[in-house]
Amino acid sequence: MTIWHRGIIRDLTRATLGATALLVSADWTSMVLAQSRIQEVNVYSGRHYNTDKALYAEFTRRTGIRVNLLEGKDDELIQRLKSEGSNSRADLLVLVDAARLVRAQQDNLFRPISSRELNKDVPANLRDPGGRWYALTRRARPVMVNAALVNPRLIRTYADLARPELKGKLCMRNRASVYSQSLVADELVRRGRPATQNWLEGVVANQQQPVFSSDTTMVRAVGQGQCGAAIANQYYLARLLSGDNDADRAIAKKVRVVWPDPTHVNVTAGGVTRTARNADAGRRLLEFLASPTSGEGYAEANNEYPLRGWGNNPTLKAFGTFKVSPVPMEQLGRRNREAVQLMTQAGWN
Amino acid sequence: MTQSAKPATGTTAPPPTNSRTGLAVAVVVISLLALLPLLNLFRAALFSGGGSPLALGFDGGDQIRGTLLLVLGEGIAGAVLGTAIGWLTAMCHFPGRRWLRIAQLLPMAVPAYLSAASLIDWGSHHGLRIHGIGWTIALMTLANYSYVVLLSTESFGISGRRLLEASRSLGVGPWRSFFRVAVPIALPAVGAGVALSAMEVVNELGAVRLLGVPSLSAGILDRWQIDGDPKGAALLSLAALAIVAVLVAAERRLRQRSRRWSLAGSSHQQPLWVLQGWRAWLALLVCVLPPLVALLIPGLWVLEGWQNLSVVAFRELLPLAARSLGLALAATGITLVAALLLAVVRRWCPGPALQQLSFVAGLGYAVPGSVLALGLIVLGGPLALGPLLLLLWGYGDRFLAVGKQGLDAAFERLPPSVDEAAVSLGQSWQGVLRRVHLPLLRGPLLVGALLVFVDVVKELPLTLSLRPFDFDTLAVRVFQYASDERVGAAMAPSLLIMLFGLIAAAALIPSLERR
Repeated sequence: MTIWHRGIIRDLTRATLGATALLVSADWTSMVLAQSRIQEVNVYSGRHYNTDKALYAEFTRRTGIRVNLLEGKDDELIQRLKSEGSNSRADLLVLVDAARLVRAQQDNLFRPISSRELNKDVPANLRDPGGRWYALTRRARPVMVNAALVNPRLIRTYADLARPELKGKLCMRNRASVYSQSLVADELVRRGRPATQNWLEGVVANQQQPVFSSDTTMVRAVGQGQCGAAIANQYYLARLLSGDNDADRAIAKKVRVVWPDPTHVNVTAGGVTRTARNADAGRRLLEFLASPTSGEGYAEANNEYPLRGWGNNPTLKAFGTFKVSPVPMEQLGRRNREAVQLMTQAGWN
Repeated sequence: MTQSAKPATGTTAPPPTNSRTGLAVAVVVISLLALLPLLNLFRAALFSGGGSPLALGFDGGDQIRGTLLLVLGEGIAGAVLGTAIGWLTAMCHFPGRRWLRIAQLLPMAVPAYLSAASLIDWGSHHGLRIHGIGWTIALMTLANYSYVVLLSTESFGISGRRLLEASRSLGVGPWRSFFRVAVPIALPAVGAGVALSAMEVVNELGAVRLLGVPSLSAGILDRWQIDGDPKGAALLSLAALAIVAVLVAAERRLRQRSRRWSLAGSSHQQPLWVLQGWRAWLALLVCVLPPLVALLIPGLWVLEGWQNLSVVAFRELLPLAARSLGLALAATGITLVAALLLAVVRRWCPGPALQQLSFVAGLGYAVPGSVLALGLIVLGGPLALGPLLLLLWGYGDRFLAVGKQGLDAAFERLPPSVDEAAVSLGQSWQGVLRRVHLPLLRGPLLVGALLVFVDVVKELPLTLSLRPFDFDTLAVRVFQYASDERVGAAMAPSLLIMLFGLIAAAALIPSLERR
C-alpha cells in the first residue's frame, strides 16, 4: 500500500497531462483531416441503433463516401445545429417525429433538394412539399388492449378512447411525450378543433394517474392487467415479443393490438442541412437510406414499417395490417403547438 | 494545535508581495474562462429580441417547486445519512469497517439516470410503478450522500480527533461527543458536502424526467429547445442559480461560524469507540445498506434481465472506455489546477474583488450542463476551437466547484501560523504551496480528484452536446440506450462506469487510511 504514498500526485499529474495532450492532438488531427479532401458526409442522427452502422458501411462500400456519425437526442441536435450556425459541420440531419422535423424546418435548418429518386421512393404525404426532408421509416401508434379487462371490439377509432367504459383503465404517456402530441395533432387535422377538444376531455377523464413516462413500462402494465388499454408505438410491443427475456415475452403475449380506423402514423426522416458542405454526398446517402432495399434494413433495426407496405418482419406481420391516417406529416408538425395547448387545457399531465 | 480564535478578516493575510500579481492574474483568467460562456449566453438570451415577454410560463411555478422539494428532501436525508456513516466509519470500530468505508464511494459511481431507468424497468416487471417525488428523493439521496460522507470523514479524521480524545478523557460518552464536539467540528465539511450534493440535484435531468417530477433542469431545456423561448429559459436558469447561490451562501455561513484550525492529526489512527453487540450490528447495517441498495438496483436488473444484455454492445466497449478515461483524466487535471489556484487566492489575496471573483467562478456548477453546453457552442464557433477543447473547457467550468469546495474547507482548517512561518522564512506563495500546502492537503486534493474524475465519467449533457463526430463515451451510450427504453443494451457500458468509479475509489483508500 505504501507505493501510493509519495509519488501519487506526480503520477496523477503525468497521467492528466498525457491525456490532455492526446485529446488536443486528436482534436487537431480531426480538424486537419476535415480540411483535406476526403469525400465524406457528416450525419447528425436522432436514432441510436448499431445496425444503422452496418448500413452506413454498406453505403461507404458502394460510393467511397465516408459516413461520420453523431447520434444524440433529437431536440438537442436541432439546438446544436442552430447554435453552430454556419460553422456547423453537419451535412445530414436525421430526426424522429414530424413535430421535430417541422420545428427544424421552421428554424431554417434544412435546404430544399430535388431528387427524382427520393420523389419516387418517398410517398408525397411522407415528405416535405418543399423538398427539405424525406421520410425513411414509418411507425404506428395503435391501441394495445388487455382483452380480459377491455373488450377489443369496443375500440374502432381513437374517438372510442373517450367512452365512459374505459374510465380508469386507459393508460397514456405524459403530455411532454412528442408521440402523444403528434397523435392529438392527427386528430386535430382530421376532426377539427371542437371535436378534438371534446375528445380530449373524455380521454383525460378516463386516464389512469399518474401518466407514464415511457412506453415499455406502459405496455407491460397492459399485459399485467394494471391497464385495460394503452396507446403505444408498435415497436415497443414487438421488441418485448421478439426479445430474449422469457418473462417479457409472456407478458407481451397477453397484449392485443387494436388498429383504430385510421391509425396514426409517424416517421423518421432526414434532410440535407442548410449549411452542408457535402450537400451532394448528403443527398446520395438520403437516397440510399430511402431506397426500398436499404430502407427495409433501416426499419428492421427498430421493428418499424418501411415507407410502403408492411415489410417482412414476422412480429409486425402478426399484428396484422391497418388503414393509415392520410394526414401529411408536415401538417402534424404544423399543428403541434395547438395540440399541446389543447392537451394542457384538458388537464393532460 | 487547534485554536478557536476568530481571524480578523475573512482569511489570513500574510504581507503582500509582488509575486502575488501573477496569482491574481491567473485567478482573473480562470474566472473569466469560467464565466464567459454563461455571461455570453445570458446576453444572447435576454437580448435575443424575441417577441415573448419575460415570463415563468405555464409550468414554471411547478418546476421551481419540484426542484426546491427535491433539494430540501435530498439535502436533509443526505446530511443525516452521510454524517452518520462518516462518523461511524471514521471514529468507531466494528466488523468490516475498513471495507465499508471504501464501499461508501460505490453509490457515487452509479449514474442516477441509470438507477432510475433500471429501477423503473425492474418495477414494471413486478407490477410496481416507480414514479414521483418520493422515489426521486430516495434515489437522489442514494446517488449523492457519498459527498457528505467523503467530506465529513475528512474532517472527523483530521481536526476532530484531538478534541474528541479530550472530550472522551473527560468522560463524555460517544453520543454526547458526537453531538457536542464532532458535529460542530464537521459542520463546514458536512455543509460543503450537502451543498455539492444539492447542486447535483438541481442539475439532474435524466432521472427526474424518467420519474415524472417537474424540475428546473428539464424546464430550462424544454423552454429553450422545444418552445423556442430562450428568455424564459434564461429566467428559469436564474431561478436555478438563485437556489444554488442560497445553498453556497448558507454553507459559507456555517463554515464561518465554526472556524477551527488544526494541522493534520499526527496521532495514531485508532478508532475511538469500539462497538460491540447490537451496536456493532446496527452500525454495520447503517453502513452496508446504502451501498448495497445502490448496487442492487442495477444488480437486480442484471440478474433478472441478463437475457436482455446485448452481446453486440461488448465489442464497442473498449473504444468507449478509452475515450471516457482520457476525457476524465484530462478534465481532472485541468479542474484541480484551477481549483487549487482559486483556493490559494482565497487565502493569500484578501482583497474583496478577488474573493468575490473566485467565489463566482464556481457557479458554473449551478447551471444545467446543457445550458452551459449551449453557451460554449455559441462562444466556440467564432473562436474556431476544436470540439474536444470546448468539451474540456466545459468540464473544467462545470466541476470547478467540486474540486474547490473540498479544498476551501481543508484550507480553512490549516492555521494561518503555518503560512506566516513559511513566509517569515522567505518563501513566496509558490514555495509555500509546494512545500507546505500540497503535502498537508494531499488527502483533500485526492478526494477532489476522485470526485471530479467520477463526475466526468458520468457526465452527460456536456458530453452529449459538445463531443465531435464518432466520439461516443460510456455515459453517452448508456443514456442513448436508456432513453430508447433499451435498458439491456445500456447495462454493459454502465457496469464499466461503475468499475471506473470503483477503481478510482480504491486508488484513494491508502491515502485515506494512512492519516
